[in-house]
Amino acid sequence: MSGGRRFPTIVVALAVAVGLLLGLGLGWLIPRLSTPGDDSAEAGFARDMSTHHSQAVEMGLLAYRNGENPDVRQLGYDIATAQQGEIGAMQTWLRTWRLNPTGTQPRMAWMPDGQQALENGLMPGMATPEQMDQLRNAKGKDFDILFCQLMIRHHLGGVHMAEAILKATDDPDVVTLATSIKEGQQKEINIFNNLLAQMGAKPLQ
Amino acid sequence: MSTPQGGGSRRPSVVSTGKKAPGSPAKPSSGAKTASKTAKATAGKGGQRKRIAPVKVSQGRAWGPIALLAAVIVFALAIIGYASWFIYQGTIGWEERADAIPGIANFRKSNPEQVAGREHQAGPLTYPMTPPVGGNHNANWQNCMGDVYTEQIANEHAVHSLEHGAVWLTYRPDLPADQVEQLAAKVRGQEKLMMSPFPGLDKPISLQAWGYQLKVDNASDSRIDEFIRALRVNASLEGDTAVCSGGITVTGSTPRDIGTGG
Repeated sequence: MSGGRRFPTIVVALAVAVGLLLGLGLGWLIPRLSTPGDDSAEAGFARDMSTHHSQAVEMGLLAYRNGENPDVRQLGYDIATAQQGEIGAMQTWLRTWRLNPTGTQPRMAWMPDGQQALENGLMPGMATPEQMDQLRNAKGKDFDILFCQLMIRHHLGGVHMAEAILKATDDPDVVTLATSIKEGQQKEINIFNNLLAQMGAKPLQ
Repeated sequence: MSTPQGGGSRRPSVVSTGKKAPGSPAKPSSGAKTASKTAKATAGKGGQRKRIAPVKVSQGRAWGPIALLAAVIVFALAIIGYASWFIYQGTIGWEERADAIPGIANFRKSNPEQVAGREHQAGPLTYPMTPPVGGNHNANWQNCMGDVYTEQIANEHAVHSLEHGAVWLTYRPDLPADQVEQLAAKVRGQEKLMMSPFPGLDKPISLQAWGYQLKVDNASDSRIDEFIRALRVNASLEGDTAVCSGGITVTGSTPRDIGTGG
């Protein structure tokens, strides 16, 4: 019985089976633990920044179509294409992380004090439905001025959100995109301020 | 325990296997001492028969560590199992998630031909279900950037928005104002959502995504969030990046064809 074998065959077989099961379980689990989860800041950022960007795409395309100043039209083109591309990247992250485009958490819950930053359901810097209506109906120089004014606010909100995720994540893809958003939009805020000055107008308070 | 008693109690087993088997029980104290001395001596000299007893004892005691090991393994499996389940829950496919919502109608499964049409058609169109959840539609889509329409919108535009991945919340105009506001709070500022009143609705609230519909009685019904979570963007026929902006924002039940002031 206990002559040469210290453990009966059944015990060895069981240990091997349990070991394999544990390995299988960990192998399935670890890649998923190493990507952002459903309630993570990264997922919240990807979802909310997609929504935030989508309004900038709308504004940019309005500028491309309705802007009078060629600089405004060109900026509108740039903003719409760049931000729509970034929406695609962020939606692809969510797919890659096997997460839904819509989370269970409220909007901006990923950001410290984020929910207080919501105004009537709008994330920081987003134009209100009334302002969007104004922009859709504006013409000529009035359009150019309103576009620059609303876009400065929009970008300030976007920079704020990008800074918040940079504090919360070390995911290389997220860091790269958030850094590009932050730096690109800060640069464009200066351009809009200069355009407003040229047109004899001021940013919104 | 005193030595004599202990020796005495063990004595029979030792005695039964020892050389002193026929030893008299009349001298318990000295007999025990002798016996134990003999046992130690024989064990020390490598007597096979004497070694069996300690091995048997240790086999019995090993159940402790085995049980502990089993408990640790079960505990580890439980942690891994729970974490896996938790993660799995978050990764269930949207179609499964949608089908799990009680009361949901899935026309993609039940009547695929009713939601197969994707042509652009001008003018008023008729749909087999109310409100419509798919089929041919107007070339203009209704803006669905979290728009809260307070007037009826045209089905022909709304269906086009569904094709782009929007969820359309409709309510019967007699829905109490606080419930309308409860719905509006979900929609406002959220891209790929829109809401509008729908006169003649058979239930107070009806939710639409392309091929899916859910009718509920109350704005606080938890299935509303489940429906939005499962189907917003996911139900799109044009991928995750089809737009909700650039659509028409006018209301009224008559569709506005492109180029006619829509």
